[in-house]
Amino acid sequence: MQKPGSAQRLSNLRSIRYTYHYMSRQFYHRGSHVLLALIILINGYIIALPFAPTLWYWWQTKSQSTAGGKPLTVRAASAKAVKDTPQAFHADAHHDGLVIPRMMLNTPLFEGPEKDNFNLLNKGAWRLPFASTPGEGGNTVIAGHRFSYTGPRGVFYYLDKLRANDEIGLWYKGKLYLYSVQSSRTVKATEVSVQQPTDDARLTLYTCTPLWNPTDRLVVVATPKGAN
Amino acid sequence: MTDKTKFFVLLGLLAASLALLWYLDSNAQNILLG
Repeated sequence: MQKPGSAQRLSNLRSIRYTYHYMSRQFYHRGSHVLLALIILINGYIIALPFAPTLWYWWQTKSQSTAGGKPLTVRAASAKAVKDTPQAFHADAHHDGLVIPRMMLNTPLFEGPEKDNFNLLNKGAWRLPFASTPGEGGNTVIAGHRFSYTGPRGVFYYLDKLRANDEIGLWYKGKLYLYSVQSSRTVKATEVSVQQPTDDARLTLYTCTPLWNPTDRLVVVATPKGAN
Repeated sequence: MTDKTKFFVLLGLLAASLALLWYLDSNAQNILLG
C-alpha cells in the first residue's frame, strides 16, 4: 500500500507527462501549419517573381501606347534620366552608361577585372576587360544580369525585347556612341566566340536565358550609327 | 499520418524548397561564358 505522499508524487508525475505530451502534440500540429505556409510562400516566390518585371514592362508600355507615344530616342531617354535623377546624383551624370529606350534601361557601365565580375554585375552592366572599347572599334562586349532572386533586378531582363534597328546608346569617357541592333540569338553558355575580337566595330550585349534555369546566353549584336 | 510525421515531412520539403531557391539563384549569378 502506497503512502499518501507517494500517491501525490505519482499523480504529479502523470500530470507532468500528460502536459508534456499535450504540448508536444500542439507543437507538431501548429508547427506543421507554419511549415506549410512557409513552403507555399517560398515556392510561390520562386514561380511568380520572374514574372514581376514582365508585368511592370507591360504596364509601362501600355501607358506609353495609350498616350500615343513611341519609345524614346537615346538622347531623349538620357535627358529624361538626368531630369528624373535626384540633384545629389547630377555631379555623376556623365558616368559611363548604357541607354536602351526599348528596354527602358539607363544603367551605369562598370569596368574591372574578371575576378570582380560578381560585385560589378550586381551594380549594373559590365564591360568585359579583354574586349574592345567603343573608341577603338572591334568587338565591345557588355554583360548584365537577367534575373536574380536575391540580388537587384537584372539590368538585361528585357534584352529579349530588342528588335532589329532598335537604338542603343553607350556613354563612354564622355562620348555618346549610338548603335543599331542587327541580330539577337541564343547560344550555349560555352559559346565564347561571341566575345572574340572582330574586324568590324560592333557592340555585343549578352545575358542569361531562360529565366528559371539559365543554361544558355541571349546575345544581341549591334553596329555603330556614329559617334558624337 | 501523425502530426509528428507530418511535421518532419514538411520540414524536409521546406529544406528542399530553400535548396531549390539557392540553386536557381546561384545559377543566375554565374553569367560568364565558357
